[in-house]
Amino acid sequence: MRLEIGNFYVRDVIFGEATSYRDGVLTINKEEALQVVCEDDHITDADIVIAKPGEPVRITPVKEAIEPRCKVSGGVMFPGVINKLVPAGSGRTHALKGSCVLVVGKHWGGFQDGLIDMSGPAAKQTMFSQLLNICLVADTDEEFERHEQQKKNKALRWAGMRLAEYIGQCVKELEPEELEVYESLPLNQRGPEVSRLPSVVYVLQLQSQMLDEGYNALVYGWDANHMLPTFLNPTELLDGAVISGSFMPCSSKISTYQHVNNATIKRLMKEHGQTVNFLGVILSNLNVQLEQKTRSAQFVRQLATSLGAEGAIVCEEGYGNPDADFILVINELVDAGIKVVGITNECTGRDGRSQSLVDLSEKADAIVSTGNVSQLLRLPPMETVIGELESLARDGNSGGWEGCVFPDGSVEMENNGMFCSDANTGEHYKTVVEY
Amino acid sequence: MKKAIHYVNQFFGQIGGEDQADFAPEIREGFVGPGMLLSKLLAPEATVTHTIICGDNFFGSRKEEAIERILHFLRDKEFDVFIAGPAFMAGRYGFACGEICKVVQERFGVPAVTSMFHENPAVEMFRRDVYIFAGGDSAGAMRKDIPKVAAFAKKLVTKSELRPAKEEGYFPRGIRLEAFQYPPVSGADRAVDMLLKKLNGEPFETEMPMPKINRVPIAPPVANLREATIALVTSGGVVPVGNPDRIQSASATKWGKYNIADQQSLKAGEYVTIHAGFDPSAGNENPNVIVPLDALRAYEREGKIGRIHDYLYCTVGTGTTQAEASRMGAEIAQQLLDAQVSAVVLTAT
Amino acid sequence: MANLVSIAKTVGANRIVPTVSIPYPLGDPSLSLEDQWKLRKHRVGVALDALATEITEPTIFEVKI
Repeated sequence: MRLEIGNFYVRDVIFGEATSYRDGVLTINKEEALQVVCEDDHITDADIVIAKPGEPVRITPVKEAIEPRCKVSGGVMFPGVINKLVPAGSGRTHALKGSCVLVVGKHWGGFQDGLIDMSGPAAKQTMFSQLLNICLVADTDEEFERHEQQKKNKALRWAGMRLAEYIGQCVKELEPEELEVYESLPLNQRGPEVSRLPSVVYVLQLQSQMLDEGYNALVYGWDANHMLPTFLNPTELLDGAVISGSFMPCSSKISTYQHVNNATIKRLMKEHGQTVNFLGVILSNLNVQLEQKTRSAQFVRQLATSLGAEGAIVCEEGYGNPDADFILVINELVDAGIKVVGITNECTGRDGRSQSLVDLSEKADAIVSTGNVSQLLRLPPMETVIGELESLARDGNSGGWEGCVFPDGSVEMENNGMFCSDANTGEHYKTVVEY
Repeated sequence: MKKAIHYVNQFFGQIGGEDQADFAPEIREGFVGPGMLLSKLLAPEATVTHTIICGDNFFGSRKEEAIERILHFLRDKEFDVFIAGPAFMAGRYGFACGEICKVVQERFGVPAVTSMFHENPAVEMFRRDVYIFAGGDSAGAMRKDIPKVAAFAKKLVTKSELRPAKEEGYFPRGIRLEAFQYPPVSGADRAVDMLLKKLNGEPFETEMPMPKINRVPIAPPVANLREATIALVTSGGVVPVGNPDRIQSASATKWGKYNIADQQSLKAGEYVTIHAGFDPSAGNENPNVIVPLDALRAYEREGKIGRIHDYLYCTVGTGTTQAEASRMGAEIAQQLLDAQVSAVVLTAT
Repeated sequence: MANLVSIAKTVGANRIVPTVSIPYPLGDPSLSLEDQWKLRKHRVGVALDALATEITEPTIFEVKI
């Protein structure tokens, strides 16, 4: 499969008469954009606010991040989710790089939502402080979950996808500043030069712990809980085949923005033909029954060995009991003679003295650590809050607690509640070291 | 100028060799022996104001007394850092340095630093408690080891930013916290680079060393179940509706005990799970699927067990650190011991 | 009583009885209430017997239902 991604480098975002892109400036017609948002009558209130790197702005509760893009040829955006179900990963896609649609609750947050500081000491905690954020701040009539700690956030997340596609459309007819080409040939058509390089797979363990519909990551619209591990062409992932779920403490989550920009896959694609033969992606999940965990791990092993993998990178979207799935997959692959590197975050406690993962294995001897979910963070007050700061303390955020927001607007919280800050897909440069 | 107090043994304190190893603790003003170099290197930020000298055998065989005397010397002294050794490969000296650093640090809240050879057994004993710098195996390394200790002590007294253990040069203390890589290297690049090294058979270094797996002594079996009192404990977050103890739904630091003496089972609508780490619907529909009180009551009626303990103990296991879990476990265990409970059925979620 | 027996072992549990899942250790919404009761009673019984069993190493006790 061959995917071209045409990049437009956004240097500023402003509101104006026509949604358009010119010389690095993205202009958004707010009224028209909000009409797209409000196509779903579950949206009861919506506004769009711009937040730029370096501004004294705090954004919470952030529910999702999506890169504004459009399909120029060869498919649709978010197939099986907001558009018809067709394959992703071929043809041409245009992307407004450096910009990002953030889906923000006007009032209500929950366990799975996150916080972003655009400046100050906590800005470096998450890569999303470095983007020009187009914040959709909205409320819904989803009364059934208004006071639930676990929220599906469906109306808001779907509105975010529509908004990202609407904005992305403005560069559909334009010539991109840069064209990235990602091509992944069938395994038997790769030629001797590539085939003699060590073969590598990327294993992505998607969050799928919830039994009810609506919380787990989606693969072409299909709940990742209801699938067995499967093979995916890397270009499919980079083109929107996977949608982020709405479950898991936020620092461990992989947003939809990160799925299509998965830095580990991009690097492996770059190495392909140079140092490795990148076979593709094994998409797996994270489950709540030992038997499901075992079944998935066995399938990952079977797929990897059938494909002839000699090396693998395993990425875990989560921590806690998913560590058992992570370790199980690593054990299976190592037992099959495959060399494995894992990339995940850890939970060492506020004092850093607790065990990193809940499950252990001597076979997991090469792990990249992306963060400590329980790192204690102190955030000074910010001039502007987009969303509602109190949600961090009130609505059961995984990194907040009653009393964690002080009257002056300063905050004490755990990294758990930082929006997609650990980036197990590899976008960020945070790590954990021993002191 | 900041003040440092230095601890040395009888040999480096210029009292004598092995024949003076029973030398009782003494405090002197200014530096002694290797303290001269130390004090010189600490300047101008700090200086060695006092030196404590103690025989290695005295410290080893009369530890409590040695500590008591030394703490007495220090009670009226002002100091900003406590430095011991270097102890090189000397076992007894290393033990004394580690122990006195730990005690002084705890008592006075002043940071303590020492240095020894990596094979000194005291490294494993004390590296989690005090800064121990990697030193040479004999006194020949003195001129290399003291500058490292002095440079770090300066950072401590001036409250400069401390870098991770490996960068500073002390043995890791088992404290794993976040750091930002400078220059920035993304997780993706670190992962792929590590994989390439692994594939090419080159040395690589994990960022998350696997700790040793815990072992707990095995409890003897319950001698007679028919007379035993069995308690129910859970990490599944099952609490009376309203969560009276406000146990956190994640990263819990609290546990609760609830009287179940009059309950035949845990009724839906009276008990709920507040655990945020899983889908609570099944547990809320029937809390006995998390805490099997109904089944245990059946065994009580049948006479398989003596009785069920009057209280259910509960906390939440998601995101809860090992340290908090251990503390809560110990607290609950003490209550169960006090109530003469024979055994526990602990359900984990 | 735990579903993730490898984690139970890792944290040092010595007598381990497997359960059904994380959200419902001793039930299963896909079964009838009667079958769920049988399952729960059986596994709790295995746990009680485990408590009265002499062991020399961390042991996972087999369940039949």
